Amino acid sequence: MKKRTFLALGVFAGGAVLGTLAVAKEQLPEHLRELLELGMHPGHVFVDEGRDYYHNLKGPNGKTCATCHGQDGSKLVGAYAKMPRYYKDIDKVADIDLRILSCMTKYIGFDPKDKKFKKKYLKTYRIPLSTYVASLSNGMKINVKIEHPKEKEMYELGKKVWFTRAGAREFSCAMCHTVLAGKRIRLQGLPNPVRDKSYNHWPAYRFGSDRMWTMEDRVRSCFKAYFLFTKRWDEKKDWVKKPPPFVKEVIAVELYMKHASNGGVIEVPGLLR
Amino acid sequence: MKKIALVGAIAGIGLIVACQPAAQKAEAQKPKKELSKYEKFKIAFYQNQDKWQKYCSNEAQLVPQGISVEEFKKAMLATIKFPPGGKVMGDWKKGEKLFGDPKKGGKSRRGNCYACHCGDPQIIACGNIGPSLRGYGKKGVDPKQTYMRIYNSWAFVPCSAMPRLGYWGVLKPEEIADIVAFLHSPESPINK
Ligand code: HEC
Ligand code: HEC
Ligand code: HEC
Repeated sequence: MKKRTFLALGVFAGGAVLGTLAVAKEQLPEHLRELLELGMHPGHVFVDEGRDYYHNLKGPNGKTCATCHGQDGSKLVGAYAKMPRYYKDIDKVADIDLRILSCMTKYIGFDPKDKKFKKKYLKTYRIPLSTYVASLSNGMKINVKIEHPKEKEMYELGKKVWFTRAGAREFSCAMCHTVLAGKRIRLQGLPNPVRDKSYNHWPAYRFGSDRMWTMEDRVRSCFKAYFLFTKRWDEKKDWVKKPPPFVKEVIAVELYMKHASNGGVIEVPGLLR
Repeated sequence: MKKIALVGAIAGIGLIVACQPAAQKAEAQKPKKELSKYEKFKIAFYQNQDKWQKYCSNEAQLVPQGISVEEFKKAMLATIKFPPGGKVMGDWKKGEKLFGDPKKGGKSRRGNCYACHCGDPQIIACGNIGPSLRGYGKKGVDPKQTYMRIYNSWAFVPCSAMPRLGYWGVLKPEEIADIVAFLHSPESPINK
């Protein structure tokens, strides 16, 4: 409900050229500024929704997240500051999106092969739960370690992904976010998330599109610019727009960026245009 | 194994398929299977990366030490194909659409020049990644050079942020010629 009201704000925001991304208060549309002054951040709706799922969403085996991780996420305080990291129980390096999915399938009984559940997770549970869990680390410093061999492997992969030029547009993360950072691609300023430790404000609410996004959503969406293809790029017939969710290339580049953000103070949900 | 498959092809597929062991059957069906989204991504991201992109995939995003810039350019020049009759200037009005402003009929994202360049002075929604192209036609550049630059920018600036749009087939030679006309024609708003 409340979420919808921000759609209109996006229209105002669309015309403005905002240099930096983590928007300074003065640059926000007036409606939004007023709401913020009243202490109403549009992203908080998602935190509340996530808190609700955390305590009340029962899996097929009757457990909730709180069964294992404590009332009000007491045992998850600070967890997000160290993610992505290696988890022994799933033998993988996981980001928040994949970690929560793994808990839902492994520990509360959802069937990982059930397509309906997977869709529901992706579209309904993932973002609020991730945002809620991330918010439990607010005020803490990002502190990602690269220790386990699988973390080292993923870090190297992430670095490789960051610099890889690919697709019919020859892009790479580094091209837009390091080499061209500070320039304008059409009207959008190109941020430098590695130098600026921008991971600290993700997940973020984007008022331009009225959406809450985790870093997975952000990274996957950036791949659209590459014009990836399987045979020959074609806008309608052969355009590999994004990698699917939870794949290692995405988690790896998140690890790379979050490690670069070590020391940054977590402040989520962020607010971006 | 291979022999059986060959015999199969000769003897009529229906019969042989029925006699094949299960594993072989699966093998025979494999090509029909739709690739998963992840498989497609991996093909696109790794397999389809050409060797020139590999060269540029370093921290500086430039031609690395040990690779000759001149050889690189030469190889890129050799990929350039021209439209029939070598006509490098087409229809500027079509070129205007391909230049990619939605208000000027630029529905397609293929050219998307405004993402990086300013052009028509009326269009202020333009990026500053590449040099401004306002008044480009008055600079006395040979249209053939412009054509080649758009077809394969890396023949001039290897590893440039500017994509090789003809090389990858994103724009057809005729379409590039239309864009060249938009850049060079005195009637084009770019030169007004
Ligand atoms: C039956 C117990 C159980 C339930 C229920 C459960 N988890 Fe977990 N969770 C685990 C285990 C075990 C780990 C791995 C801990 C480790 O290796 O440090 C884990 C790890 C996590 C982590 C990472 C913690 C860290 O320190 O890095 C997060 C975040 C998390 N779970 C969220 C959730 C959420 C959200 C839910 C509800 C959808 C949930 N879990 C339900 C058992 C559970
Ligand atoms: C064509 C240029 C382009 C490429 C290539 C690109 N991005 Fe982006 N990215 C953008 C733009 C534009 C934005 C800001 C969008 C906005 O204003 O909301 C952005 C935003 C981001 C942000 C948020 C930054 C912040 O300040 O919060 C991150 C993180 C990011 N991109 C990561 C990546 C990664 C990782 C890759 C490589 C897989 C990548 N991007 C590739 C253009 C690009
Ligand atoms: C991703 C950004 C990008 C896009 C998209 C792009 N360019 Fe460029 N362009 C550049 C950059 C950077 C340069 C300067 C380096 C070079 O020449 O490669 C450039 C250079 C040029 C030049 C040479 C300008 C001069 O004065 O030397 C022309 C002409 C040109 N671009 C035309 C186009 C056209 C036409 C399109 C659309 C079909 C286009 N560009 C799309 C980035 C881009």
